[in-house]
Amino acid sequence: MKTKFSGILALLLVLVVQLSFAQQKTVTGTVNDDSGLPLPGANVVIKGTNTGTQTDFDGNYSISASVGQTLLFTYVGFGDQEIPVTASNVINVDLVPGAALDQVVITGYSRKNQTTQTSAVVSISASEISELSPTTSVDNLLQGKAAGVQVTAANGKPGQGAFVRIRGTGSLTAGASSPLYLVDGAPIREEDLGGIANEDIENITILKDAATTARYGSRGANGVVVITTKGGKRNNDAQVRISSRTGYSERIAPNYDLMNAEQKLQYEAELNALGVNAAGPLPGVTTLPGSEERQFLLDNQTDWSDLILRNGFIQSNNFSVSGGADKVDYFFSAGHDRNTGIIDQLSGYERTNARLNLNIDAKEWLTIGVNVGYSRSSSDEPRDRNNMQNPFRAMADYNPYETEFVLDENGNVTYDESGNPIYSPTTTSFNVRGALLSEPSVDYNNNLLASATAAVRLSDHFTYNFSAALNGLTTRTDGYSKPGGILDSLIGDADNPGNKLDFGSYLSDMTISNSLSYNLNGEKNNLNILGLYEYNIAEARSYTVRSIGFPSALLSTQSNAAQVTDGSTTRSKLALVSYGLFADYDYDERYLASASARYDASSNFGDDEQYGLFYSVSAGWNIAKENFFDVDAVNDFKLRGAYGTVGNRSGISRYASQGTVGFGSYPGGSSTIPDNIANPLLQWETTTTTNVGLELNMFQNRLRFVTDYFIRDTEDLLFDVPRAAESGIFSVTDNLGKIQNKGLELSLSGDIIRGENLTWTVGGNIILLDTEIVELPDGEDVTPNAFNILYREGSKINEHYLVRYAGVDPATGRPQYLNAEGETVFSDEIDGDTDRVLQGKSTIADKEGGFYSNIRYKGFGLRTDFVFKTGNWINDQVQANLNSDGALIGANQATSAFNYWQNPGDTNVHPSPLYIDEVIASDRFLTKGDYLRLRNVTLSYNFDKAVMDKTFLSSLRIYVQGQNLLTFSDFYGDPEVGISSGETISFADSVAPGELTLYSYPNTKSYQIGVDIGL
Amino acid sequence: MKNIISKISICLLTLGAIVSCEDNLEQVPYDAFGTENAFATAADFENAIRGVYSALTLDGHYGSGDGGSMLSAPDVLTDNVTLAQAGRGTKAYLHRYDYDGNATLTTMYSNNYSLIYRANQLLSFATGFEGDNKANVVAEAKALRALAHFNLVTFWGKIPTQSADANSSLGVAYVFEADPNIEPARNTVGEVYDFIVTDLTEAVANINETNDDGRMNRDAVNILLSRVYLYMGEWQKAANAAGAVTATVATRDNFTGIWADENQDGLVFFIPNATPILGNQIGVTWSQGPLTSIIPEYAVSSELFDLYSNNDIRKTAYIATATNSFGDYNAIIKLFGRAGQNNGEVDYKIFRASEAKLNRAEALYRLGQEGPALTALNAVRSQRYDTAPGSETGSALEAAIFLERRLEFAFEYQHFFDIKRRGLGIERPSTGEFADGSGTPSERLNLPAGSFLFQLPFPQTALDTNPNLVQNTGYSN
Repeated sequence: MKTKFSGILALLLVLVVQLSFAQQKTVTGTVNDDSGLPLPGANVVIKGTNTGTQTDFDGNYSISASVGQTLLFTYVGFGDQEIPVTASNVINVDLVPGAALDQVVITGYSRKNQTTQTSAVVSISASEISELSPTTSVDNLLQGKAAGVQVTAANGKPGQGAFVRIRGTGSLTAGASSPLYLVDGAPIREEDLGGIANEDIENITILKDAATTARYGSRGANGVVVITTKGGKRNNDAQVRISSRTGYSERIAPNYDLMNAEQKLQYEAELNALGVNAAGPLPGVTTLPGSEERQFLLDNQTDWSDLILRNGFIQSNNFSVSGGADKVDYFFSAGHDRNTGIIDQLSGYERTNARLNLNIDAKEWLTIGVNVGYSRSSSDEPRDRNNMQNPFRAMADYNPYETEFVLDENGNVTYDESGNPIYSPTTTSFNVRGALLSEPSVDYNNNLLASATAAVRLSDHFTYNFSAALNGLTTRTDGYSKPGGILDSLIGDADNPGNKLDFGSYLSDMTISNSLSYNLNGEKNNLNILGLYEYNIAEARSYTVRSIGFPSALLSTQSNAAQVTDGSTTRSKLALVSYGLFADYDYDERYLASASARYDASSNFGDDEQYGLFYSVSAGWNIAKENFFDVDAVNDFKLRGAYGTVGNRSGISRYASQGTVGFGSYPGGSSTIPDNIANPLLQWETTTTTNVGLELNMFQNRLRFVTDYFIRDTEDLLFDVPRAAESGIFSVTDNLGKIQNKGLELSLSGDIIRGENLTWTVGGNIILLDTEIVELPDGEDVTPNAFNILYREGSKINEHYLVRYAGVDPATGRPQYLNAEGETVFSDEIDGDTDRVLQGKSTIADKEGGFYSNIRYKGFGLRTDFVFKTGNWINDQVQANLNSDGALIGANQATSAFNYWQNPGDTNVHPSPLYIDEVIASDRFLTKGDYLRLRNVTLSYNFDKAVMDKTFLSSLRIYVQGQNLLTFSDFYGDPEVGISSGETISFADSVAPGELTLYSYPNTKSYQIGVDIGL
Repeated sequence: MKNIISKISICLLTLGAIVSCEDNLEQVPYDAFGTENAFATAADFENAIRGVYSALTLDGHYGSGDGGSMLSAPDVLTDNVTLAQAGRGTKAYLHRYDYDGNATLTTMYSNNYSLIYRANQLLSFATGFEGDNKANVVAEAKALRALAHFNLVTFWGKIPTQSADANSSLGVAYVFEADPNIEPARNTVGEVYDFIVTDLTEAVANINETNDDGRMNRDAVNILLSRVYLYMGEWQKAANAAGAVTATVATRDNFTGIWADENQDGLVFFIPNATPILGNQIGVTWSQGPLTSIIPEYAVSSELFDLYSNNDIRKTAYIATATNSFGDYNAIIKLFGRAGQNNGEVDYKIFRASEAKLNRAEALYRLGQEGPALTALNAVRSQRYDTAPGSETGSALEAAIFLERRLEFAFEYQHFFDIKRRGLGIERPSTGEFADGSGTPSERLNLPAGSFLFQLPFPQTALDTNPNLVQNTGYSN
């Protein structure tokens, strides 16, 4: 019996008794949106208390309150309203959508309204996500949506993610410039975001400055993206939602033409006539125009891109149920996505996912919850490398007069003894059409994202929170060179045909978080203090096994193999221990202040350098809330500033501070090989951020404007500092150098029309970015793991470092270059190293953003989203190869290659192929990457509630959608360039995404139709 | 209130329990070993010396690096091969002497110093070690350190006999310590050769007469030492070192089988290369694919092909006719693969007994001992031809010695240096890559004697990271 009246309950009773002395009554009413439709699940809270309720399915509510108290009505995506309780027992409310300042901002450790926020944060809600481009990956979706967030699609492969950079490039080490992504508290790698279904996401909050990122201490230096998955609404019938869409994708047609057979043969003959030796053995020379042989080639020509590519098929189905009872809420979902991609013979990407999120009030004082999401994906991978094994390189290089299969003299396909058509070796000796079948490589990912939480309300003011979040990822790659296949016959073991590689990894990342928060919500004073103790451990394991000798191409597991040729496993761990103390205060939402301190220790630093302290202070002033400020048109006029430090520990190995050797094999036994050079002084990379911002809302929030100016100074850069080659080691991981990113962010949106039947909203955002390398080790230049990028003090981050091309000599057609002194010379006077220069041309866009228009007329909606990028430079190697001046005469060329110097006085032409040896690596094809792209256009129709009431459905929306339908760019080819060639520099190793084009999977355009059904 | 307190206590206890997680800040790697732990026992030093040897198999050393390695560069730079247009164009910049500071044997440069670091690391830990195997592993480490410096100095420096100024010109930095922070200046060629001789002399004295396969032995060190002396013009010492080699020249009957690893006749130092221990497909140096649809990188030049007489066993052991859609080639098959294979997986063959004879023949000829020189030469010739060897004298004997050297060690890491050390130029035939001489001739048909291009440019990254490194003459800084 004693427990019945224990602690918390007793306290609540006291509270109730206290309330009962006041003049209490029941207030009822309906909450509608601005068009008069009821809002189910809207929150109604008595301000300054924890007492509240939610509206039912018809928007009705009922609450006990006393006269003099204030009711606070809130609904995600709508502006808050406060109405004092007066004599009336009925309070009806119409909430107005789109008031940015009232959006919920989830910083991971707390939730608050934008109104009281002192930090530069951007929040994207579920409704916006579902309206936006339904891509398979979250990161692609962020492009153009938030000022200061730069997104570069890695490539166009289905399921592939993007490079996201928040406020510039904050580190010079690969993998260290990506933001920290958290899904329900569990960190997730940027390349794994594709495993999360967009339909499951409730909110994405992007934290940009130290006021909030410092709460993530050591990992927040490059911004934090907090992803929260959906929950159900209490006291709400189950809402069933079915979303389905399907469509097709196709390659965005390049803005150049490849030569057809006739043109290529002619080009070969022209070059041979000029004396290009390599053209001699080619059919343009060895067959005569009009001859039978020539006619044979023309009759049997191949359009390789037609043959290798196809229209991709896209399909997505998602089912979810959410709702809640008095003490429980839940969200369940299951989904299936498929995107075959545009390469014929590959099955592309497929993902199946399921999720259950559940919260239960176990006791009056205890709420427990669990969020579990599981996804499995498979991706039939093309070779992303810079040779014929890559279909995109092959289709550019194969000559149009070559054929897929070996033909007999009548032009008929020939067959081998088994009756299979014989693939023609092509001039490259490698037929990618055959290889796509004989060299399958499939990636499988199984991803578990789970978190368990418990909130203990110790008193009205104190809450203890516990959470354990786990991200478990199992990856597997099955790569098979089938016996008798294209590659096997080239480099296989004739006695042991076939070659199978199984590679897999298990990554687990566990975060255990304990926090104690103190909440004081007074009439005017609001204070929240949170103390945190957190522990994070990441573990990685991997295995590799390779075998040769397969009796049949149909068998692919290594249990069938004759001989194991390679086998190994690896394991590593990384630990982080953190203490934090965060405080937020506001006075009447007018004066705002926050401060944070976080003390982190990470296992990958030197013994005495593991701990780092990161802190922030910030303040805000909403002038519009001042009595003296009497401008009716202005709803909010908030100034804010933040200053703080954040750390970074990624981009280095997990044992970078320790001196180690590894072991390999050598005839006779083990072999000892130096592995890592010790650096006991290795410590945190630190970024200091200064931010000032202004938020302005006018005309009943119809006009919304946010601007921020920031400076990010990063020092003690984590760096593999190169050592003299003669030392015999390449580099030592160290802290050296300084960089700076600064910029201005502008974001503006407005409801041009806000009528009963017609609304029209437009908005846009832009970042103006400036980067600088301030200081490098010993002031010496550093060459990162990129193609032609150099880091030099005073230059921008990721500037191209190339010899300057100076056009052709109009008199002779010889290519000219500029030497370091700027004199125009020929190639013999150019030194390929010392005549390279930095020209301020970086791979990083200095202006980037997006804009959109959203029109609703009755049930119709038309949403268009544009993204743009300008100021970045791309070294277009694909263009160089297609206009190679004869150097690659054996491969196909673009028709623009005909435009070479022929007569004295010719300008704006390619060099004469006579000077084939004088074409050297230069900035000749270094091109502006500027583009404006219609990322998304969606036309939708939402059936009227009156109509739906006559059916068994509660809502129905149908839409057609197009992605990437229009592109405005002068770039030769597709200007969205991320990965150049995935096997040369992988996603994880990229320090300069978008530096170079090198035949990675191109971006696609797509057309889809879809339906969203509510039951 | 009591209950609140107990609840808080429980929560604090939970919190406290997790504090022990701080122990996890002490992480040690699973896949590697603290360096100081790895050099303690006799077995550790066996592992360590094998680690030094394994640096020989790196891509740019005796591996098949596309940018050029010991396997390819000394022939690609000469008139022994012609670029095949149908290939991938690997090493082509070397073939046309279009050196590029970002690519020119950069991997070879760093791979050799990687070996040197490993050798020096072993030698430094060996000072505190007194095991039975100490003398042998220390000798091996010194021999390998000498070999790596020799490979470096022959490419990047002049060879003492090349010109009068060679010994006083700059060679490469001779490194004796495993220290990540050094930025050494270049030693002169004379100094480098003296250091090499010192290391090798100590190695000869202490190394085992025989060691396991994949490791050097006394004969191997003596062969290397005789070559070093030959390059120095120390004829008597060269003859002596070569004379100390006991291994016998491979017989004509066994000769073809050596290249398919069917026998090891005459191999003094080779590295077994088979899965799962190594299994490197080093044959991609010259070509990929079967002879019926080959992707050749280079073909045997018509000049070299014509030098092999039909009764020379090497003509078929080194060369085969191969074909693809463009035509027929005289393909280099020295690294082609074992019997029935075209995967290029064969043993690394680094020193052969025949070199001792040819080194000795040349040294003795220089000393005026033509009779013994001819005997040494014919020890090789009698096992290569099925006709009686000649009995040349004078300049005909000299020519015969150099011809035999070229034929014996074609595609075997020597021809460029044999031209360079005699101060000669390179003249290539103007024929193409195909067996009938048609096709595309090499872009550069000659490299005149005395050209600065005989000394390679130091890699730009090496110049960037070591302010004390001076670029070779002829290249801008």
